[in-house]
Amino acid sequence: RPQPTSAEKIAAAEIEIEMVSDMFTRLTQSCAKKCIQNDYRESDLNKAESVCLDRCVSKFFEVNLKVSEKMQGEAGRR
Amino acid sequence: MESLNAQEQRELQSRMEKKQLKEFANVCASMAPKPPLVHQYMPFMLADIGTVAQMYSNMVQRCFDDCINDFSSKSIGSKEESCVMRCVDKQLKSSERLGLRFQEQNATMMGPGAMPGR
Repeated sequence: RPQPTSAEKIAAAEIEIEMVSDMFTRLTQSCAKKCIQNDYRESDLNKAESVCLDRCVSKFFEVNLKVSEKMQGEAGRR
Repeated sequence: MESLNAQEQRELQSRMEKKQLKEFANVCASMAPKPPLVHQYMPFMLADIGTVAQMYSNMVQRCFDDCINDFSSKSIGSKEESCVMRCVDKQLKSSERLGLRFQEQNATMMGPGAMPGR
């Protein structure tokens, strides 16, 4: 089986970086919206916000995985 | 928009196809079973000005939306200003925490002992 060239590996990595960066930006936006209370009484995260953010990341990844599994299932059938 | 001549149309066609191929590749890459090597990429991600710019503009929008609601004056008052300052602090701390958890999640996905170079 032919090995990917350096150029191909770099190109694939570039695409992956873009996707991961995009995923991180979206995750940040969604989780901050869902978890950060908007009164801003203090500049530190309180306990509720911190726990919410942690759980939000975990759930975001799970959703990402389930959607990708389902899409693979769909692609397999068509 | 002005109408395009034949050559311009061909150029546009070619660009749209490249864009579609790229998006298709994204979808395929996202369906690949192996998880992305985020620990290798984190330095690139954080240095990427596009990501930073995006996060900056999201933060400005969020803090404006949440803090600025009084338009009886054209300059912001001290209450609004302190709200914005606390908002920025909070958003930054939030991004920091999310970044840590994000890296942890990716490390977990790759399995134990899967962080070379650390």
